[in-house]
Amino acid sequence: MKSRQLFPIDRRRVRGPYRYGLTLFVCLATAIIAKWLTAQVDPVNLAMLFLLAVFFIALYLGWGPALLASFLSVALFDFFLVPPHLSFAVADVQYLITFAVMLTVALITSRLASRIVQQRIEALERASRTQALYEMARELAGTMAVSQVAEITNRFLSRIPGVHSRLLLPDPSGGLPVAATAPAHLGPRNPAQESYSLGEVIEVPDPVGDRTLIYLPLAAPNRVRGVLEVDTDVATLASERPLLQTIATLTAIAVERLHYVEVAQATQVQIEGERLRNSVLSSLSHDLRTPLTALVGLTDTLVVAGESLPPIHHETALALREQAEKLVGMVSNLLDLARLNAGRLALCKEWQSLEEVVGAAIKLLRPALTRHPLRVNLEPDLPLVEFDAILIERVIGNLLDNAAKHTPPGTAITISGAQDGREAWISICDRGPGFPANVDILASFVRGRTAGASGTGLGLAICDAIVEAHGGRLCLENLPEGGGCARFSLPLGTPPAMDEEVWEEAP
Amino acid sequence: MSTILLVEDDPQIRRFVRLALQGEDCQVQEAGDLTTGLAAAGEYRPDLVILDLGLPDGDGLNFISELRPWADTPILVLSARNLEMDKVAALDAGADDYLVKPFGLAELLARVRAQLRHRAGRELADPQVRFGEVIVDLARRQVSRAGEPLHLTPIEYRLLTLLLTRPDRVLTQRQILQEIWGAGHGADGHYLRVYVGRLRHKLEVDPTQPRHLLTETGVGYRFVF
Repeated sequence: MKSRQLFPIDRRRVRGPYRYGLTLFVCLATAIIAKWLTAQVDPVNLAMLFLLAVFFIALYLGWGPALLASFLSVALFDFFLVPPHLSFAVADVQYLITFAVMLTVALITSRLASRIVQQRIEALERASRTQALYEMARELAGTMAVSQVAEITNRFLSRIPGVHSRLLLPDPSGGLPVAATAPAHLGPRNPAQESYSLGEVIEVPDPVGDRTLIYLPLAAPNRVRGVLEVDTDVATLASERPLLQTIATLTAIAVERLHYVEVAQATQVQIEGERLRNSVLSSLSHDLRTPLTALVGLTDTLVVAGESLPPIHHETALALREQAEKLVGMVSNLLDLARLNAGRLALCKEWQSLEEVVGAAIKLLRPALTRHPLRVNLEPDLPLVEFDAILIERVIGNLLDNAAKHTPPGTAITISGAQDGREAWISICDRGPGFPANVDILASFVRGRTAGASGTGLGLAICDAIVEAHGGRLCLENLPEGGGCARFSLPLGTPPAMDEEVWEEAP
Repeated sequence: MSTILLVEDDPQIRRFVRLALQGEDCQVQEAGDLTTGLAAAGEYRPDLVILDLGLPDGDGLNFISELRPWADTPILVLSARNLEMDKVAALDAGADDYLVKPFGLAELLARVRAQLRHRAGRELADPQVRFGEVIVDLARRQVSRAGEPLHLTPIEYRLLTLLLTRPDRVLTQRQILQEIWGAGHGADGHYLRVYVGRLRHKLEVDPTQPRHLLTETGVGYRFVF
């Protein structure tokens, strides 16, 4: 018979059929000792000797031998010690009472003794099992990789004789490896996958033989993390099912913990990456701006000094300055786009006034707008809108710059602001040739509308990225009466409440 | 003749700034790092410091916090950093104005002239301040526009005089909020938006294109005459 005990303890009970031989021997020995004592001791007291023997047999050899010993003791007592000796006949009827009492006491004490022993064994087994589970949990808590979890779980389960186990973990798409030990009769069925997706225990008995494959889902607090495949015999499964369940839960918690460790590490790496990118961008920005500053300043100096030089030199100085300024624009566009593309855009949102940001953008673009009459047409009482003022100023500035560059001098540019339901709209319309059809002008590096106009085509891409980050939309459209119109929306929210000023005007 | 201390590590930038300032009849002292800059500030007692924020031996912010306890010399910050928080930090530390690199000569000279003008202490000798059509009588606490009296609320008036008495200086949003609304309102930028908007509608010819109450986006406000 196979052992069904997971952790056999050092039991003092003798096992196997020869227990009965031993029983026979002990009873006979008791009988011989009793016979030897007959002269000095009353036969009824000798019966106690037999009871003692039965008690010890119950204690050390178990319930079956004790049962045999009970009857055997009564028989031997009768045969050797009750007159007439060496016969089962009973001369004195009172001995029948002795026999009855002896048998009853023997049966009861042996039953009780063997039960106590049994309970002690079970208690010891429970303690050892708890200890083993505790050790496994402790080992799992120290794991740093899923392979270690698998190793610990398998090692633990392999302590049960005849049990083999495997930890099946899903690949990133949620598929489990097909069980290699799965019997052929399963066909295309993948019980591991079923157990994983349903979160249920699935048992697959082998049609021939007494083995069973059992699939236990690793149900962690948040989700099923994989499946524990256990190959065992039917008898072991019947007795150890709760233990297998406990092991599956412990493994599940360990795998989930490792999953979150991984998530935390990935986040850490991402944060580090972003920090690195930002520091590269910021030092690049510094390194590019320093020579550009010198270039712009020195050409400016040359322009000022060149006024007293021959016209050709003065013109050269002016051209130099113009090119330097273009370079500045391009570099700052490139740096902006790099920052916008560098990952999640960190918006510095505050409740802002559209009128104010429009005014600031106009002031910034004043030099580019000298040749275009500008009309500003904002709806009165536009509410405060939550946005990153620097970025939105950049959007309006880029759109204004675009309109100024691509329209003939003297044509008007109109900035309008309106409120429409849950959105605020700002539009910059011009009277120029409009936007080209069939070109995704918002994509990076698509050049603008009229040939010869300067710019790297980054301006609109930057605007689009900024507006999108604010949850708004940027649309470019051509007006039926001619001219292009760039419009963008910003979602309206509920501005924070303000304590209004209470005051009385001085008379 | 004004003395200007230029603390900047790039020699080419120092060169053109020096040339431009000398053209304005200023005496220019140069320093390539923070330590010599501080020493020169003590030695020459300049009328204006032009300070680069990224110096080889330390942050320009340290220069400001070291200088401020013993000198109220105006400080014009040059920042290659496009990040607004650097400018705000410099202004909060005690700088008066800033220029983002790259900058043109005209812009630089305009800022320098404005700072030197205030250094000469010309303004506010007269309690009547005029800009555009507006006259602010600081002694009588009265404001008029084109001869008509203007009604400002107490907060509007305080905000106007705060900006007005520090012309050409950039005041950060936090500085203004703390001055007008108190320390607990340092983050309530929306108050400032609303009140500046109301002031512009009362004082500016075209509130969408203000000429006096100027926004330094992401940083604060500046008043110019």
